[in-house]
Amino acid sequence: MTARLHVLLGAGGVGKTTLAAGYALSLARSGSRVGLLGIDPARRLQGALGVTLRDEALPVTGWEEPGVAPRGALNAALLRPEDCLRRWAEESASDPESLAELSRNTFFLALADRLAAAADVLAAIRVAEWAERDPATTDLVVDTAPGLNAIDFLRRPKALTVFLEGRLIHWLRAVAPSRSRGALSDVLRGGARRAVGGLSRLGGTRLILELGDFVSLVEAMLERMLARLDKAQKWLHDPTTEILLVTAVRDDAADAAHKIAGALRAAGLAPTATVLNRALPAALATELTRLTRSDPSENQAPIEPPWPREAHVIATYARLYIEMQERVAAAVAPLSPRLVIVPAARGLDEDARASALTALGDRLRNGLQAADR
Amino acid sequence: MIDALPREPLGLKEPTLPRICLVLGKGGVGRSTLSAALGSALADRGERVLLVEWTIAESIAPWFGSPEADVDPVAIAPRLWAMNFRLDAVLRTYFVDHLKLGLFYRHVVDGPHVRAFIDAAPGLAELMFVGHLWWLTTLAEKEAGLVFDRVVVDAPATGHGASLLDLPGTMASLGATGLLATEIGRVTGMLADPAWLGAIVVALPDELAASETLELVPRVTRDLGRPPLAAVINRCVPSLESKAHPAWIERLSERLSPTARDALEVLTGDLRGRARRAEELSRALSGQTRHGTFLLDEQLATSGKTSPRDVVRALAEEIRTWLPSIENSGHSPEKGDAR
Repeated sequence: MTARLHVLLGAGGVGKTTLAAGYALSLARSGSRVGLLGIDPARRLQGALGVTLRDEALPVTGWEEPGVAPRGALNAALLRPEDCLRRWAEESASDPESLAELSRNTFFLALADRLAAAADVLAAIRVAEWAERDPATTDLVVDTAPGLNAIDFLRRPKALTVFLEGRLIHWLRAVAPSRSRGALSDVLRGGARRAVGGLSRLGGTRLILELGDFVSLVEAMLERMLARLDKAQKWLHDPTTEILLVTAVRDDAADAAHKIAGALRAAGLAPTATVLNRALPAALATELTRLTRSDPSENQAPIEPPWPREAHVIATYARLYIEMQERVAAAVAPLSPRLVIVPAARGLDEDARASALTALGDRLRNGLQAADR
Repeated sequence: MIDALPREPLGLKEPTLPRICLVLGKGGVGRSTLSAALGSALADRGERVLLVEWTIAESIAPWFGSPEADVDPVAIAPRLWAMNFRLDAVLRTYFVDHLKLGLFYRHVVDGPHVRAFIDAAPGLAELMFVGHLWWLTTLAEKEAGLVFDRVVVDAPATGHGASLLDLPGTMASLGATGLLATEIGRVTGMLADPAWLGAIVVALPDELAASETLELVPRVTRDLGRPPLAAVINRCVPSLESKAHPAWIERLSERLSPTARDALEVLTGDLRGRARRAEELSRALSGQTRHGTFLLDEQLATSGKTSPRDVVRALAEEIRTWLPSIENSGHSPEKGDAR
């Protein structure tokens, strides 16, 4: 794989999605062929980009420099588990009947319905699929679910492997054709009978038959998913891969960063950089405090009308914010070799979205490069 | 199937707040903080309250100076307990203590294949979670000596959290019989009972969180068959407009260095945006929840509180002032909007 992978991890609400969108726009503007994958089940990425995204990658426009022929490209997609599963089922199905049967299977429907919670696993698979489908991609930027949920991105999930690696699949495969032949127990022996019997005691025989069908129908698809997952995991461990741990000026976000860094370490990975998002300059706090202080002993010329209560609120807020920012920076600095401080920016919610996002992405990239030197 | 439900829950004085309050919202909106604050507010007025989390790393107990909570409730403050759901431990309790199927558990459920299946099967972990909430509010007293007047649940982040509520439908479509069907029947009865369980949706006054909340509220209403009890907009900020000094920001700005001036513009833009969005969101949510939308202050801006425990305490104080408006009327939709 030639594309460089950029993964953003962090607590909810720290600005990962916005940073991912800005980073992708900035890379595209400087000539890269960029893929941007949003995996948030709550679909925040489209809000940040101001476009409607789908599961299939779509070209995003509106970021090009006016009057300059664009050298780069940006394709963006939003992970929609149900669409992914349908597509993967289609590409793996042996014939239209078994595809139709699968799409009626209650386990498959339940799986599709429930995978929102496992979006990060699907995202890893989707990342490998992306590289297969668009091999010219040079950079793939991946937004992740908040907090430790995202760690599934790094793991080989039990939810998939259990069906393939345990012996359960052999037993269940044996169950599937038995539906026409009769009693479940006839085809099973010993431990298998006990396990499947236990399952049917838990959930009934019909459930087991449906499960057997599901497993035999879905096996090829699951194998393909696992192969892609392995590829994605190798990619994650590639030295060119960039893992950005994002935090905002919030103590809980710093805590989450610590926990995520710990989980990364356990997976044999480390953040390449920590990004402290939405920083304010310390000068704001010192100047506001000085200006709004009404200390007669300093013998200043009286400032026209006195400052309203609101001015004192702002001054206090700025001071506490800077204090927290320093505390958070100190807490997260040891987590990675570099700390990039991205200043708070205006305009991200407003009309000039693409240019504001690109500017944000530029600041992040400059910060990362400056820290490199 | 749900005959064990005590119709008069222990010590419950105001039946309009349900036995279980499920706190929903996306990651980062302050769901855990709000859950802890609501729990503290209820405990402060004399109820025995259990805070339930379902997360990899439990966070509320450490705020109160206790070690991370596990499945067994630990006391973290007077009349306030915390626990963290763990599937394997709860499965064991379910089979061994509740069903008295210790042998079945050891030989079948605890076997690697069935356990792997239970971990992997869609919806089963969620069913066990909701089933555990059922148990906590019914049999836990008899079977484990656990007595709580109220259970406040810090639900997993949005997608996952809301999926707890349509669980009965999804599970029923599996056509299960046996124990699974019994469990599904139990939790269906619980989810359908407004005196037993209600949802509180937490939002932030930012654009992205607001749009998610506007999706989440109708979804909860559809899945539960009734609207959420209330919406809470967290981290709201006081208005910056001053009638007496209309141009104070400009006056202040003139006196700042260029760096600080830019930063002040970003900061005031952010705060004004939040104030505007809180207003828009509470207008958009008007009439969509049973008791209305409540605004909580950003503690950093108002009280200068930054440590989680201080924030929880300050928010609990605010919440105490709303509780009567949730409990004393069937509908007072906009009452809580006044701050």
